[in-house]
Amino acid sequence: MKLRKLGGLALGAMLVAAACNTGGGATATPGAPAPGATQAPVDKGTLKIGVTLPLSGGAAADGQPTMKGAQLAVDQANEAGGIGGYKLELMVLDHAVNGKYNEQQGAQDMQTFVGDSAVVGVVGPYNSAVAKVQIPISNDAGVLQCSPANTNEALTKPEFGALDYRKNFPERINYVRVAATDDIQGPAMAVYDFNTLKLRNLLVVDDVTTFGKGVADNFQKKFEELGGTVQRVGAPADTTDFNSIISAAKPETDGVYYGGVVTSGAGLLLKQLRQQGKTFPFTGPDGIVNGSGKAEGALIQIAGAAASAGSYGTIAAIGDFPGRADFEAAYAEAFKNDADFNTAGAYSGPAYACATIILKSLEEFLKTSPDADQAAIREGVRAWASDTSNTFDTVLGTESFDKNGDTTQPFISFYVVDPAAADGAGDWVFKEQLNFAQE
Amino acid sequence: MTAANTKLSRTPAGGPGLRGRLSDLSSRHRSIAVIVGMSLVALVLPLIVLLPPFSSFSGQTVWMDGFTIAGIYVLLALGLNVVVGLAGLLDLGYAAFFAIGAYTYALAASPFTGWDLPFWPMLLMGAVVAAIFGILLGAPTLRLRGDYLAIVTLGFGEIVPIVILNSSKYTDGPNGIGGISPPTLLDTRFPTTGNPWPFYLTMLVLIILSMIFIYRLQDSRLGRAWMAIREDELAAAANGVNTVVTKLLAFAIGASTAGLAGVFLASKLQTVTPNLFRFDVSFTVLAMVVLGGMGNVWGVAVGAFIIFMIQSVFLKQLNIFFNNVQVPILSDIDFLQYQFLLYGIALVAMMLLRPEGLFPSRRRRRELHTEEDEVFAEHGDAMGAAPE
Amino acid sequence: MTTTTTVLSARPSFVETFQRLRLGPYLFVLGVAAIDYVVIGPNQFVNALTIGAIYALVALGYTMVYGIIELINFAHGDVFMVGAFTSMFVLTQALGQDGPIDSPGMLAVVLFINFTITMIALGILGAAIERFAYRPLRHAPRLAPLITAIGVSFILQNIIQIIYGPSPINTPQVIDPAARVEIGGVSIGVVNIFTIVTAVLLMIALQMLVSRTKIGRAMRSTASDRDAAQLMGVDINRTIAITFFIGSALAGAAGVVQGLYFGNIQFTLGFQAGLKAFTAAVLGGIGNITGAALGGFVIGFVEVTAGALGFFVWGQAAVFAVLIITLVFRPSGLLGQQLGERT
Repeated sequence: MKLRKLGGLALGAMLVAAACNTGGGATATPGAPAPGATQAPVDKGTLKIGVTLPLSGGAAADGQPTMKGAQLAVDQANEAGGIGGYKLELMVLDHAVNGKYNEQQGAQDMQTFVGDSAVVGVVGPYNSAVAKVQIPISNDAGVLQCSPANTNEALTKPEFGALDYRKNFPERINYVRVAATDDIQGPAMAVYDFNTLKLRNLLVVDDVTTFGKGVADNFQKKFEELGGTVQRVGAPADTTDFNSIISAAKPETDGVYYGGVVTSGAGLLLKQLRQQGKTFPFTGPDGIVNGSGKAEGALIQIAGAAASAGSYGTIAAIGDFPGRADFEAAYAEAFKNDADFNTAGAYSGPAYACATIILKSLEEFLKTSPDADQAAIREGVRAWASDTSNTFDTVLGTESFDKNGDTTQPFISFYVVDPAAADGAGDWVFKEQLNFAQE
Repeated sequence: MTAANTKLSRTPAGGPGLRGRLSDLSSRHRSIAVIVGMSLVALVLPLIVLLPPFSSFSGQTVWMDGFTIAGIYVLLALGLNVVVGLAGLLDLGYAAFFAIGAYTYALAASPFTGWDLPFWPMLLMGAVVAAIFGILLGAPTLRLRGDYLAIVTLGFGEIVPIVILNSSKYTDGPNGIGGISPPTLLDTRFPTTGNPWPFYLTMLVLIILSMIFIYRLQDSRLGRAWMAIREDELAAAANGVNTVVTKLLAFAIGASTAGLAGVFLASKLQTVTPNLFRFDVSFTVLAMVVLGGMGNVWGVAVGAFIIFMIQSVFLKQLNIFFNNVQVPILSDIDFLQYQFLLYGIALVAMMLLRPEGLFPSRRRRRELHTEEDEVFAEHGDAMGAAPE
Repeated sequence: MTTTTTVLSARPSFVETFQRLRLGPYLFVLGVAAIDYVVIGPNQFVNALTIGAIYALVALGYTMVYGIIELINFAHGDVFMVGAFTSMFVLTQALGQDGPIDSPGMLAVVLFINFTITMIALGILGAAIERFAYRPLRHAPRLAPLITAIGVSFILQNIIQIIYGPSPINTPQVIDPAARVEIGGVSIGVVNIFTIVTAVLLMIALQMLVSRTKIGRAMRSTASDRDAAQLMGVDINRTIAITFFIGSALAGAAGVVQGLYFGNIQFTLGFQAGLKAFTAAVLGGIGNITGAALGGFVIGFVEVTAGALGFFVWGQAAVFAVLIITLVFRPSGLLGQQLGERT
């Protein structure tokens, strides 16, 4: 009886709400600043940019800062008067189930985006595994998808099996990414560890995910090629007790490479390493370079500035450009009221760049065809972004995409933790960059 | 049923009124009832979503895609219902069979192995392989009672994804297996986007076949044997029920629908990873069975549908809903962060309000609310005790 | 001698005594531990004992609750997690600590206050959960409280996540993690010793409570036959509430120790820990307190041995494999009653 009443009430509420729905007039997602005062009148309606990320539970620490990067770009575009007469709206769908990314939910979300004709592009996903189920869908529908964080080479490169994911339209590139693939990042750090840091016997730990294992495999291959030895261990992403691994490390170990992200336990591993008295360098890919000691969930915060000192990480971008500081300041300003995520994370910048790329493609396309309908806009955005001759000015530097949708950005930047930076809380500081351009 | 008992004068066994009559009719012509009922549902759902308020969320295509995935969970709930609801074996690791079905098809029809076996026979194959594993994983539990069985099944439910995750040579580990072929019918491949009907109708057929099969079993000797060991294993054995075979068959049949669901999932997503089959899948299906009404085939199907809609559609879209509909306080809340809380509260509330589930089987309702209980609730009893 | 043998022999044979004391499982476990020590070395041995101690403490709560109302309390792992956060709160907010404390006297006072407050708070939480979420379902089908338990688990997790955020948080390690002592030529961390000793002391205290006090007798009788106990005048509701209180308090103690040892906690801590603790309780024979403790240590050993031998990723699977094999040979767990069918 009670249930039926509740159900009826809920149904009634929904019908009333729907009746009051003006249908389409939307504001930005919660937590964002209000758009600026009177701007140029928007007359053409709203276009949507989809965001597909894991945003709840334990995965929130990965997805939320990333989403906010994209949100910042869209909010800034709206404040500037929209694009080509259209207002932009961020459509955010969370594919985390029970706190962890879920491929099936990701597929459903991509179907939702594809089915909504106002969606002109999608930012995401975060995990390569989710990309694997989403690419067939977005490829089939021809929707541009830009990932800020996927690094598995099988997603784009035919020689690693990418054609399996775009079976229906193998020649149509709709999936692009701004992150360097694992076959570049891993070997880059291997070279650095061997030649610059002079390490010879490494303990390589990976988090048994597509990203972590992939980058660690590539690292190991290169490191052994150079002449080093590797002791390889897998530690699943929810591991909290690494002590047995550390105690089992060979006595001649002189360094660690962690293939994975901080939410998989990098911070705990580092902390426990130091607690067991191991002082050798801790190195890793861009997954560990996720903010200063003041940022929540950052490697440096978890392990502490002293423990993190002398750790090295790579970032697939030009390290030393002015845009980065401005971006981080703008981010901090926009989200200063957010309780949990008020400083930029490792992938906020790339997500901002992805959104910028989608917006720029939209802008350029609308310049040539200002009165195109939604289907044509969608195709136009995709075509523009995947066109190898177009370049984009982003917060990561100048981006463009090769024939597979991979970034042609050849630089890998190396960062080291300086315990005195950020008022003693510790921060990642740019050290040098190397050019790893593919020929 | 004497000749004098005309339909008009006799009170239906299912209770008075139209509902009782329908229930009577359907229990005598089960298979037809299932076909008619499910087909009605399958035709009505796509029509309902064309109306507001549903149409303001997403188009029909997207809704139907969601229903198709819900169908996967319905298959899972139907199978688990056999194990938990009918036979009374608490299986906390059901997702293992789901994984086995999915990986069977993945290995059979992807570039990873190079094979490309056709979908339809593989459906059957997936069910068979899952059933075999049902027997294998059920065998060690035969001697265990109640909750020990639960923990062992939980253990298997954890072990299977771990094995898949770490056997890169056979399963490509965390990368999963991609590029799985979608089903092909009459030389046309099922479309990935655009037209949801092929997958939708296939799922409909699978559900109908499973329901008919399970109903037939339920009404057979095997079904009665299951219920016997559920109520009192010792008494059942004393009455000549072969508990070993009965239990193993429960596991096998239960696992087979998970196998079907797995093959279907693999063909729809075109990629499978170990991450899809973790404990929370097992738990979600269990919640669907319990909330739907254990033992009641239609009940668990509806329960599965409802919970899936809540978890994957409703809770996820709350933010977007409140964006479109401006409500003073609610629009400022980021509901994504409260998903667990809401879901948890819903579970607790459901159990406190209606522990026997939404549509308990008649027998279960009789168990929980005996006639004496009802009389007591109204009048108290002869010794002066009053209802609380 | 005589052709008839009396039933009560004058002196029980060695085998009978052995069986009656049920030394078998203990010796088996000790033997395996000794072999293990040789295989993995003293450092790993200490690792295993430490993490095993934490699992044992959480397993105690599981086994107590199961013993008395036959409920798999899936929310127990999250109660442990809340305990860890409570401990952190007490240390940082109430006591203002943020790092190692040098003076032993001050350290003892701080720890004492921390344990007391955390354990009492968690006990109250556990009793409250029982009162509001499980008691109404005491006569419901067996699966209903199971679902409720997971619902409570979700609620606890989400509340902590809302308050503290989803990222890992550092806790003050008031016992200096770098402090080590030499025992028999092996360097062992002070915090490791503290963890193990705390767990053992609490287990002994619990065992004495259950076997020697009136409330313990009430708990045992309720566990054994609820209706008979009620007829004998035991207040069932109060007894069950106290059981939950004690079990949750122990989980709280485990939370304190977790914070001290690892120095870092996260709202997702509960599920994995709960799962392992539940496995430990079943392994030892569910309802049996010593069994739960033993089970906790066994699981710690299995995990660390897997890591020590280079098979870290198989650790979880190994734990379950050990459980399954044990149950095949001893269907009621290591120390469980070898009962016949019970309805």
